[in-house]
Amino acid sequence: MLETVKLSKSFKGKKVVDEINIYLDAGESVGLLGPNGAGKSTTISMISSLIRPTSGDIKLDGKSTIKDPSEIRKVLGVVPQEIALYEELTAYENLKFFGQTYQVKKDILEGRIQEVLEMVGLKERQKELIKTFSGGMKRRINIAAALLHQPKILILDEPTVGIDPQSRNHILETVRELNKTSGTTVLYTSHYMEEVEQLCKRVYIMDRGKIIASGSKEELLSILSTEDTIQVQLSNRSESLIDTIKSFSNVFQLDETNVGLRIISKKNSNLLSKLVLASEKEGIQIVNYQVEIPSLEDVFLHLTGKTLRD
Amino acid sequence: MSSFIKKDILVFWRDRKEILMALLLPIILIVILNFAFSGLFKDDEEAIHIDIALLVADDEKVGKEQFEHAVKETELSPTEKEKVLDEAANLNPVGLIHDFLINPEIQDWITIKEISEQEATKQVNNGDLDAIIRIPEGFTYEVLSVVLLDERPNHIPVNILAKDPSTEVGALQDIVHNFVHSLNVQFALGSTGETVYAEPVLPQGGREVVEGIDTYSISQYFTIAISTLFALFLAQTVALKTVTEKRERVVNRILLTNSNPINFLLGKTVSTFILVCIQMVITFTAVQLLLSVFPGKTLEFWVGLVVIMIAFSLTVAGLSSLFTSIVLHLSDSNTASGLFTLIIMGLGVLGGSFFPLEGLPNVFQKIGEWTPNGLTQTTAIKWIQFSDMSDLFFPLTVLTAISIVCFAISMSIFPNRGRI
Ligand SMILES: Nc1ncnc2c1ncn2[C@@H]1O[C@H](COP(=O)(O)OP(=O)(O)OP(=O)(O)O)[C@@H](O)[C@H]1O
Ligand SMILES: [Mg+2]
Repeated sequence: MLETVKLSKSFKGKKVVDEINIYLDAGESVGLLGPNGAGKSTTISMISSLIRPTSGDIKLDGKSTIKDPSEIRKVLGVVPQEIALYEELTAYENLKFFGQTYQVKKDILEGRIQEVLEMVGLKERQKELIKTFSGGMKRRINIAAALLHQPKILILDEPTVGIDPQSRNHILETVRELNKTSGTTVLYTSHYMEEVEQLCKRVYIMDRGKIIASGSKEELLSILSTEDTIQVQLSNRSESLIDTIKSFSNVFQLDETNVGLRIISKKNSNLLSKLVLASEKEGIQIVNYQVEIPSLEDVFLHLTGKTLRD
Repeated sequence: MSSFIKKDILVFWRDRKEILMALLLPIILIVILNFAFSGLFKDDEEAIHIDIALLVADDEKVGKEQFEHAVKETELSPTEKEKVLDEAANLNPVGLIHDFLINPEIQDWITIKEISEQEATKQVNNGDLDAIIRIPEGFTYEVLSVVLLDERPNHIPVNILAKDPSTEVGALQDIVHNFVHSLNVQFALGSTGETVYAEPVLPQGGREVVEGIDTYSISQYFTIAISTLFALFLAQTVALKTVTEKRERVVNRILLTNSNPINFLLGKTVSTFILVCIQMVITFTAVQLLLSVFPGKTLEFWVGLVVIMIAFSLTVAGLSSLFTSIVLHLSDSNTASGLFTLIIMGLGVLGGSFFPLEGLPNVFQKIGEWTPNGLTQTTAIKWIQFSDMSDLFFPLTVLTAISIVCFAISMSIFPNRGRI
C-alpha cells in the first residue's frame, strides 16, 4: 500500500538517507530500527510529506505522493518524535483543535476525542494544561492527536523515548490494539529492540542512511550466524559422555559451565536425538536442553559492529 | 478557520505576562507621560501670560488739531482737504491699539493694567509687570500724517519697554509690530477708515487658537501614539507565537492535516485584529475614564475614532500575517524577533509615535505620514480637530490597502512544506 523507491535525502551535500526501499502492506506492523542519527526521522518526514526527498519516490497504492501530498496526508497519522502540542492549551483543547484542522466532522469529533483519550488512558485529565503533564502523559496525548481522523497508516517516531514503564506499556498496548482490532497499518520507529520485537512482524534495520537488513524477526536472526548455542544440563557429570559428544560431527566446541555443558554446533544440526541416545547408554538423564535464542540486538551488533544505544 | 482564531486567542490569553504587557502597559505609559508632560505644558501656558501697562503719553485732541492745521498748510484742493479731514475725524489710532489689546483672544494671555508711568516703571523693575507699551506724544498726529498724507514717519510710533528681552516681550513686539503693519497696509490700500480689525497673529509655540476649530492636547497625542505603537507590538507578539509553534512542531502537525495555509494565516490575522481591537477599546476607555482625554466629544466623534482605529487594526493584522510567514521562513527565532522589533521601532520613530513629527524636516514628515501608525495618527488628530468626514476616506483606503497587500504577500510566501 505504501512504498519508497530509492528514497534519498542530502543535507548540504551530506547523504542522510541513501536510496532506501521500504514497503508497508495493508494491516502490517513494521519496525524501523536504527541507532541515533541513522536517518529514521528524516525518512519518516519524507514519507509523511514534511520534507521533499532529494531523489527517489514515495508511492501510495502505486501513485507518487511527491507532487501532491494531499492524498497521503489524509490516510496518514504521524506521531512525531517531539511533542507537537500547544503547551498553553489543555489536552482537550489540543485534541479539539487538531480534530478540527483534520476536518473531523463536527458531530463525531467530540466522540472521537473521548475515544482517543480513552485509548491513551488520560480521559480524566483532559481539562488540564499540557504543560502540567509528565513526559509520558505528553507522549500519550501526542499519539492521541494523530489518531483523531482514524488514519489507515500510523507512523510513530520513537514514541516511547524517555518515559516511565507504565506509560510505555500503555503506548505499546495502544499500538498493538490499533493494529489488531482496527487493522491499522503501523510503521514503528525505535531504538528499543524489544519493543520492535514485541510489536512488529517485519523489521528494517537502518544505519547511516542505509537499510542494512530487513525481514521477519526469524529471517533477521538467521543471518546472524551459522551456529547454534545449546545449553545442556545433565544429572551426572561423565567424562566419557563429554568425549562422545565432542566426537559428534557437527559439534564445533564444548565447554563445561557451572550448571552443565555449553555446546556450539552447526546451525539446525538437531543434536538432541543423538545426545539422548548417548546419555542413555551411560545411564545419565538430560535435565535441561535449550537452544539459546540470539536477539536482534545481537544481529545488529553483528551487522554494524556497534550496539543500538550507545 | 474559527478553530485557528480560537486557538491563537486562547494561547495568547493563557500567557498572563503578555496580556499584562499588551493591555496594561499602554495605559500606564499614557497616564505617566500625561502627568509628566501636562505639567510642563501648563507651565508653558502660564509663562506665555503677559502683564503689561498701556501708557498713553499722547493727547488725541491736540494731535487732531495739529493734523487739521497741517492739512490746511498743504497744497490740496479744498474738496480733497475736506475729505482728508473727514477721514481723520473717524480715525482714532490710540483707540485702535487699545481695542486691539482688549480683544478677547488677546486677553487670554495679556492683561492690561492702567497705572501711572512712575508706578509702571517700578513694577517692571521689580518683575510684577512684563512690559510697558508706551504710546508716545504726537502719536495721533504721526499716524494720521503717515496714513492720510503719505508722509514718512519721523520715529517709531509705539515703544515697548521691558526689563529683559524675554520671549514674551519678543512675542508682544511681534504682535504690536504686526498690528501697526496691518494698520499701514489697510490705509495704504485705500480703506476709508471704517472699523479696522486686525487679525491677531500669535507667536509660535503658544496654543494656536483658530475660531471654530478644536485643538488637540498632548494627552490626546500620547493616547493615539502609544496605543498605535502597542498595537504594532501585538502583531509581533502574535507572529512570534509561530516560533513556539514551529519549535514545538505543531506547525508540522498542522501541515500534515492538509488544511489550507490560508486558515493558519487567517487565524493569525483575525486573532490579531480581534486582540488589537480589544486592546484599543480597553486603552481608550481606561484613559478616558482616568484622564478624560477627550472631554465633551460627540457620539459622531467617537464613531469616527472607532472607524479609524478599526482600519488601523486591519493594517496591524495584515502585518502580523506577514510577520508569521517570515517566521516560518527564518530558521532562527532571534533573527525574527530582532527583525520585527527593528521594523516596529522604525515605524514608531518615522510615524511619530515617540515624538511629534512637526519639528522634523519635511521629508521625514512626508515619509512618516505613509507609515500605518503615522497615517493613523495624523488622521486621528485631524479628526479630533476638524471632525471632517471627507478627511477619512483617503487614509482609510490606504490603511485597508496596506493590510490587503501584506496579507497577499504573506500568502504567497507561506511555505507549503514544513522544515525539520
Ligand atoms: N535539517 C537538517 N539539516 C542538516 N542535517 C540534518 C537535518 N536533519 C537531520 N540531519 C542529520 O541527518 C542525520 C539523521 O537524522 P535523523 O533525525 O533522521 O536521525 P534519527 O535516526 O531519527 O536519529 P534519532 O534516533 O536520534 O532520532 C543526523 O546526522 C542529523 O544530524
Ligand atoms: Mg529521530
